[in-house]
Amino acid sequence: MTSSTDSSAPETTNNTPAISANGLVKTFTGRSGTVEAVRGVDLTVQPGEVFGFLGPNGAGKSTTVRMLTTLTGITGGSATVAGVDVSSDPDGVRHKIGVALQEAGLDMRQTGRELVVLQARLFGLSRADAGERAQELLELVDLTDAADRLIKGYSGGMKRRLDLASALVHRPEVLFLDEPTTGLDPASRLVVWDEVRRINEKGTTVFLTTQYLEEADQLCERLAIIDDGKIVTEGTPASLKAELKARRGLESDPTLEDVFLDVTGRRRERGAGEVSEVAS
Amino acid sequence: MRTVLVLGERAVREAKRTPDALLPTLLIPIFFLIVNTGQAAKIFPTGSTPWLEGQGYAAFQLPATLLLAASFGTAALYLVEEIENGYFDKLRATPISRGSLAMGRLSAEALKSTLMTIVILVIAFPFGIRIASGVIGVVLLILLTAGWAVGYSGFLQFVALKTRNAAATNSAGLIFFPLLFLTPNFVPRGLLARPMEIAATFNPVTYVMEALRSLILVDLDWPVIGVGFLVTGGFVALTLWMNIRTMAKYD
Repeated sequence: MTSSTDSSAPETTNNTPAISANGLVKTFTGRSGTVEAVRGVDLTVQPGEVFGFLGPNGAGKSTTVRMLTTLTGITGGSATVAGVDVSSDPDGVRHKIGVALQEAGLDMRQTGRELVVLQARLFGLSRADAGERAQELLELVDLTDAADRLIKGYSGGMKRRLDLASALVHRPEVLFLDEPTTGLDPASRLVVWDEVRRINEKGTTVFLTTQYLEEADQLCERLAIIDDGKIVTEGTPASLKAELKARRGLESDPTLEDVFLDVTGRRRERGAGEVSEVAS
Repeated sequence: MRTVLVLGERAVREAKRTPDALLPTLLIPIFFLIVNTGQAAKIFPTGSTPWLEGQGYAAFQLPATLLLAASFGTAALYLVEEIENGYFDKLRATPISRGSLAMGRLSAEALKSTLMTIVILVIAFPFGIRIASGVIGVVLLILLTAGWAVGYSGFLQFVALKTRNAAATNSAGLIFFPLLFLTPNFVPRGLLARPMEIAATFNPVTYVMEALRSLILVDLDWPVIGVGFLVTGGFVALTLWMNIRTMAKYD
């Protein structure tokens, strides 16, 4: 990783929460009926926080992120991001957020530099400014050597870092990262963690969904666990562990995984040498 | 407009990097021009066929070739790819208008169609095809064909947004073939059998084809050209509206 830094911090709007959701609901209606993917989520994330959003597969994590990032309409409730109402002013929200979704969404027929420049130009930068900003960000995520190669030749880790860089072109106030390390090898995962910390140090609020509990433990100041479309617990990793220890009268310190399994009503099952969670 | 150009520039870059996708869109229409002319040229000799206006049958067939080439846009298939790999969501999360998002790739289709029309004309000239309406006619011919390319690619892009499926989008592209054959493709409208003539009258492609044909064979016949541009303009406006509406409601 290079030592270059992102030169300017995003504008932060103090006193108002970075993210606020009240009774957020999302219902999908299809031929097979109606599915309530999110069933009344209440959330408050303060400016400058790294907030973790955890949950089992299909719990409603990605749907919540898609609503907060204006990609999916809200069925019920309300939400603001950086003080802007998501439903009534989606463009206002888009100006203030950076988004790196699950499965790094990239245009494989462009080079890394072309992709970041394009993203910068879509946020209103001139051709010259976009070029400078792209160089700055490519240095930040250590991709200068590969910048002029087609993205289809990038490794998984490189794609993730490029996705991260493209989400930062306009110095967003709030950065949404949806499972940013899924599918990465341990070394690449550590690189992404470093990037997230560095971005947050500049003042950017980070909303992170992950299925890796260790990742949440390492990166997040506060977290919420969602299950079956509802938030089942919320707090700092330390407070959640302490609460479980006290409630269960445990002798040893529980892990975040223990908290997760406890609140989601799941248990571990060992089969063919692998540990997996199953609904109890 | 600025964001349309930025997205259009990307689509042009993409087209340059995938020449394999462009080549068939040029070769197949030229194949049809050669085959159709070869099959019917002797039936309609220049000297005894007044509606050929002194040109060969290939000149009469040229509008069908141009429209076919203009209907082979790749915008919709690339869009499905982007929907599937998540990049479309990345674009949707930027603060650009949904209209720009819809028009980005379509603007590149206009440019591709312009180049394709020029190439087809360059190939056609050595075979004795002339544009009777002169330089202004060539410009109008290019504009009308590019307009049709934008409209038809817009229709396919709408199918892509609705179905999010490459096979469905690809199949929708085939709709152009029945539309093309329900036109005065081989003879003028007045010579078609009555049911075919009625079908051709209700088919918008007929009016675009007749406008192109008048530019090639007749000179500047403004009423015919005007109807052609009106139909194309209406088609572009309709498909663009369908795209924007679908993008605004896209979940």
